[in-house]
Amino acid sequence: MSDSVITLRDVKKNYQGIPILDVPSLEIPAGIHWLQGQNGAGKTTCMKVIAGLIPFSGEILLQQQVSSKKDPVTLRRLINYAEAEPLFPSFLTGRDLLSLYINTKGGDKDWITDIVDILGIQGYIDNPVSSYSSGMLKKLSLLLAFTGNPALILLDEPLITIDTAAVDTLYNLIREKNNEGVSFIITSHQPFDEQKITLTGKLIVADKTITRN
Amino acid sequence: MRTTRQILSKIFTQRFYVENLGFFLVLFYLLFGTVNGANLLNYHLSLIRGFLNSTSFLLIMVGIWTAYALKCTAFVMKTLQSPGYDFLYTTMGSIPTGERRRHWLFIQFNIYLPVLIYAGIAIFIAISSHKWMPAVIIGAVNIINCVWPLLLYEKKLWNPDTIFFIGHIQRWLNKHFTKPPVLFFIYELLINFPLRIISTKLASTAILWLTFLLLHRNESFDLRGLQIGVIVCALLHMQLMIHHRAFDDTYLSFMENLPIPVWRHYSRMVGVYLLLFLPEILMIICNAYADTSILGIVTTIAIGLSLLVIFRSFLYFPKMNTEIHIRYTLSISFIVLFMILAHYEWIAILLMQLIAAIIFFAKYRKYEAYIESTE
Repeated sequence: MSDSVITLRDVKKNYQGIPILDVPSLEIPAGIHWLQGQNGAGKTTCMKVIAGLIPFSGEILLQQQVSSKKDPVTLRRLINYAEAEPLFPSFLTGRDLLSLYINTKGGDKDWITDIVDILGIQGYIDNPVSSYSSGMLKKLSLLLAFTGNPALILLDEPLITIDTAAVDTLYNLIREKNNEGVSFIITSHQPFDEQKITLTGKLIVADKTITRN
Repeated sequence: MRTTRQILSKIFTQRFYVENLGFFLVLFYLLFGTVNGANLLNYHLSLIRGFLNSTSFLLIMVGIWTAYALKCTAFVMKTLQSPGYDFLYTTMGSIPTGERRRHWLFIQFNIYLPVLIYAGIAIFIAISSHKWMPAVIIGAVNIINCVWPLLLYEKKLWNPDTIFFIGHIQRWLNKHFTKPPVLFFIYELLINFPLRIISTKLASTAILWLTFLLLHRNESFDLRGLQIGVIVCALLHMQLMIHHRAFDDTYLSFMENLPIPVWRHYSRMVGVYLLLFLPEILMIICNAYADTSILGIVTTIAIGLSLLVIFRSFLYFPKMNTEIHIRYTLSISFIVLFMILAHYEWIAILLMQLIAAIIFFAKYRKYEAYIESTE
């Protein structure tokens, strides 16, 4: 078995006293994982917990080294997340957000600039996000998830709202980054094109927990 | 079937007066409610003769009327940009040019009408008293104020995706200036809620102005009086703090995935309130430098900023709703008030900073928006 990219230890998430997620122990190996579950099963909550967006009890370990308790900043540097329905302050431009991500997450600016061109974001990057369509916003959110030098990228419903050319670009990016050692956890209600990316395994969210399938 | 004008009246004129009811009530009270009924006519005649006989007074009146014209224009432009009003582009765009311009003029005339009535009376008095130049100036300014917005409405109609007024500056800024996170909330207020920040700042600076007025009436300048005024200024910012929390909850959750240490988040929070408090800081420096020492000014500013920071920090308790927050902020204000009166200002400042930092560092990573049950 390949090395674990992320380990969840006694991870519990309650919301106002109501348990939403309870994962006693889970090790996810490096690779590309498809996170599946019904609507409302808690897929997005899982992703937000792993990305450090919402508080939880327990511990998350990245590559058995970086702990959510001991080194939350490094964990955030190494885990990137793209929301299913991204929401940003209306007055910020794509460039504002990209600069913020590059300034905090680091990474290869030239490479990300190339992706800006490939995804066709260059034409509207200086406009406020309030003028973006849902597809443009989604592309920007996906671009931001590829900034820095992440070890794990979480993509929540990445295939929705973007055009077919962008879907192909996304598959290429996932493949390229995976070849460099980056792991992915992806939720999608649409099946993946297995000729374009090879899935390592599936993760099932049900009954308030996550299991490997 | 209703005519186009009736429908446009409903969309623009009626909405304008309904949405600005509070503004007009205050204005009506100031113009007609503060004067004895028997002296009302003389009061207004004196007021009009005042600006007909004084160029500087007339310029102030021209400024006020133009400000009202800007308010009217901003309302029409905002309506054109609002979701749900897209149909105006296709419908107004289908009307022949001459007729459409008459419709724009009709809208502008109706919402600018209060000024036109007052200016019309002023022109009549000016002509009766052979004050030709003021009559021409008042007439010209008000005609211009009715006409120039039409050009803007026409331009907007053919460029629906362009934001005018500050659009060019904004585009230039967007291209050449990357907004730092400390400015995010300030941008949110200035762009999406300008009335909220302007009213807060006006109220806060009015309190400071009143404080200085009262202090300068006394023979000796008691710094504690100014510090009490600053407490009231800080309390006036509570509405902005609640908005700040909602803004962070809704739009800045993505920042939790960024590798930013908590101390930098804390610095950002302090920075936001330092920037928000800047007008008051400048006002304090300008008005108090002759009456007190630098230390006195620094102490006063530090009290204001510490209060703002501690008030905001309390909102990192997720269940702290507006009602509970008011209780806490008033309690803190009273404690600080008594500490100021006893000359324990710096102990109060250090305590507030310490408590604010402890709450922030303990709560920031654990904070999650709390949705109150409706049951």
